[in-house]
Amino acid sequence: MLRLLPNSRILSKAIPPVNISYKARECASKAAETVEVFVDDKPVQVQPGSTVLQACAQAGVEIPRFCYHERLSIAGNCRMCLVEVERSPKPVASCAMPVMKGMKIKTDSPITKKAREGVMEFLLVNHPLDCPICDQGGECDLQDQSMNFGSDKSRFTDNQFLGKRAVEDKDIGPLVKTIMTRCIQCTRCVRFANEIAGVSDLGTTGRGNDLQIGTYVEKMFKSELSGNVIDICPVGALTSKPYAFVARPWELRRVDSIDTMDAVGSNIVVCTRGGDIMRILPRIHEGINEEWLADKSRFSYDGLKRQRLTSPMIKDESGNLISVDWETALLRVCDAITSVKGAEIAAIAGGQVDAEALIAMKDLLNKLGSESLNTEEIFPMDGSGTDLRSNYLLNSSIEGIEESDAILLIGCNPRYEAPLLNARIRKAFIHNEIEVGYLGPKIDLSYNYQHLGDTTTSLENIKSSQFYKEHLSKAKKPMIILGSSALQRADGTAVFAKTQQISNELKEAGSSWRVLNVLQRVASQVAALDIGYRPGVENVRNNKPKVLFLLHADNETVRREDLGKDCVVIYQGSHGDQGALMADIVLPGAAYTEKEGTYVNTEGRAQRTLVAVNPPGLARNDWRITRALSEMIGQPLSYDNTNEIRDRLAEMSPNLVKFDTVEEANYFKQSEELFKDIKEKIKQDSFSLPMIQLKDYFMTDPITRASPTMAQCVKANNKEA
Amino acid sequence: MSKYLEKLRNCRLAIKQNGGIIGAYLQLFRTDELKYGNHIGTDKYGNKYYENKSYFVARSRWIDYAPKYGYDFDGSQVPADWHRWLHYMTDDPPTKVKPCPDREWMTDHEENLSGTTGQYVPYSTVTPKIHSWNPPKNN
Repeated sequence: MLRLLPNSRILSKAIPPVNISYKARECASKAAETVEVFVDDKPVQVQPGSTVLQACAQAGVEIPRFCYHERLSIAGNCRMCLVEVERSPKPVASCAMPVMKGMKIKTDSPITKKAREGVMEFLLVNHPLDCPICDQGGECDLQDQSMNFGSDKSRFTDNQFLGKRAVEDKDIGPLVKTIMTRCIQCTRCVRFANEIAGVSDLGTTGRGNDLQIGTYVEKMFKSELSGNVIDICPVGALTSKPYAFVARPWELRRVDSIDTMDAVGSNIVVCTRGGDIMRILPRIHEGINEEWLADKSRFSYDGLKRQRLTSPMIKDESGNLISVDWETALLRVCDAITSVKGAEIAAIAGGQVDAEALIAMKDLLNKLGSESLNTEEIFPMDGSGTDLRSNYLLNSSIEGIEESDAILLIGCNPRYEAPLLNARIRKAFIHNEIEVGYLGPKIDLSYNYQHLGDTTTSLENIKSSQFYKEHLSKAKKPMIILGSSALQRADGTAVFAKTQQISNELKEAGSSWRVLNVLQRVASQVAALDIGYRPGVENVRNNKPKVLFLLHADNETVRREDLGKDCVVIYQGSHGDQGALMADIVLPGAAYTEKEGTYVNTEGRAQRTLVAVNPPGLARNDWRITRALSEMIGQPLSYDNTNEIRDRLAEMSPNLVKFDTVEEANYFKQSEELFKDIKEKIKQDSFSLPMIQLKDYFMTDPITRASPTMAQCVKANNKEA
Repeated sequence: MSKYLEKLRNCRLAIKQNGGIIGAYLQLFRTDELKYGNHIGTDKYGNKYYENKSYFVARSRWIDYAPKYGYDFDGSQVPADWHRWLHYMTDDPPTKVKPCPDREWMTDHEENLSGTTGQYVPYSTVTPKIHSWNPPKNN
């Protein structure tokens, strides 16, 4: 079994991470240490050590390729990128050939053309002619390149009807479908699994014509990033299982959007046909998800079609929810609200609410005289609490991980809480050889880390640990990532204060590098805290409100038993889940693909979703429901359209409408001062994590709980274990 | 002169058969037509069938729909056995020669229900795009 293990030294030279190459370019312009090469007689200045293919790209010539991928190591086995180089006896593989001074590259010469044609012919001899039934059809590199660079006729004859090469399909789980006969052995998937995902499940067996990609023994491809091999596969060998035979790329309408399954805020493209979501693909954003996407974000879209709330519901005399029209439902809500005092109304916001819905609900409740606006996720409110933005953000940003030289993770499992952030840490681990320390239960993070213990005692004694002395304290740009899971504890305040104290000690005077980072787990938390929601539901439990709004809140943070008998629970959300089960009135809202919403990711970067499909049935955009309700109560909110509510958001917090910019947050010192009064002590306890194994990752919110694909993933993982 | 007397006689017979002046007026109002002829038979739904060979073919056989249909009569209310006589497929009315023996499996004649609540609507074989949530019932 040949595994293409990443060699960090070769890698860092061959494909330097973005920030390093950028810096190198800056330096080079000063020292002029460039090499001049000629691409089709056009002179180009390139970095020494870069490849012929990169030099051609700089000159604006795209070389056809199958195995070469910018974010993976170089394999050089497809031979499609052959080009003629003057005074070279034969064509060279441009992806693996470093440039030399004065090199004359010919990308359009007869020899190059003939080489490409020959390679293409060999590939097609071993490739089935099943494009009409292939899911890659229309977005297949082999299809496109055979049109552009292939021969105009075939010399392949099979007079004895021996058939083409055929390979048995592998079963690698419920997400990725394999049709291995189509495989051209570019080994991109193997390199992705080993280098990016950090799971050495995929490998090659055999040699020459018998070379096969597979898992050696039949097993699942157990990775939270497994869906990305579908994108990087240049042919139709690895395709999406839920999307098999569903649609063609040219039929799809593509809408840019933002993922809300975790707090990373990956950029996505929602592909729809006829008002139906067909698939979700990643969109390139170098600052967040590069070009990858986590499996939960990619495959949970079928959960958006099940268990949906499609009409308002109220409870009848026998206690059953029955469907009614909007007027009846809103009048019922109106009655409930007007019959109680303003202070007896409360709201709880869940993990996938957009900023517009959050602010509409806040404005309505404030008008009615209530301040009880809460989020499901807990964050310590003592000390400076959520008043200072730097307290609850991932301050050094996701891209900043690549600059960092030592990372300490406290009480979080970034692999499943934020898979793409974990991929970044792994990237930094491989390319920059950073040291990672970890406090919490022993888990597989897909890279090596120094385990510093799983109890809070280890956090208190962190300074005496070897990791702190040798790496963290000596690091120029140390990062401490505190998981939101660790702050859900009763002594969250003390844990936070301690972490903040350690971070501030590590911070160099005068440096703008920010050490303290909080990794949020849900997409709406940062926006909710920016707007002024109170984290945690303690308030609701103690005050026993008479009317409780659940805004997409499905995590059972408050149960019916915690509330008074006469409390009217109003659930507003997209799915029939825990929230709707305990509700007296159900108002159908829209999911993230169905509304123009603003989401702020854990770095504090505001991004917006666009409407990909309409909300189903009578469901409506969430803030519009609140707006309609305010009109009925007789306290109309002051905004009628998206622009007006965004103006209101800007009034509340300007960063909420500065799309795709990370607003810097500071005041670490001041925050620490405010925390000094806290007398609370850290309890001697071990850190617990909600997600330990891969099977815990798939079903965490109403959308994924409704998704049959996610259920299959859990089932397959249970079977495997 | 006799031509006019003939017309007058036909008119008198038609009025008489349709139940006097008022009856004839109502019949004319309902069907826009006033005819007289031999009553050939009545089907089980109460429709009456007439023939008068002095009218030309295609107008010489007609149906007087049962009063229960009121103004909502239409061609599909003619049962199959009378349909063949009415359309000159045979000269023998079903009262004289039965077109086929009664079988157990034969169903009752049914008029065309299009446009009413009883109309046939094909059910969808496509799974719905969105599955709504059904709240659980507590008996």
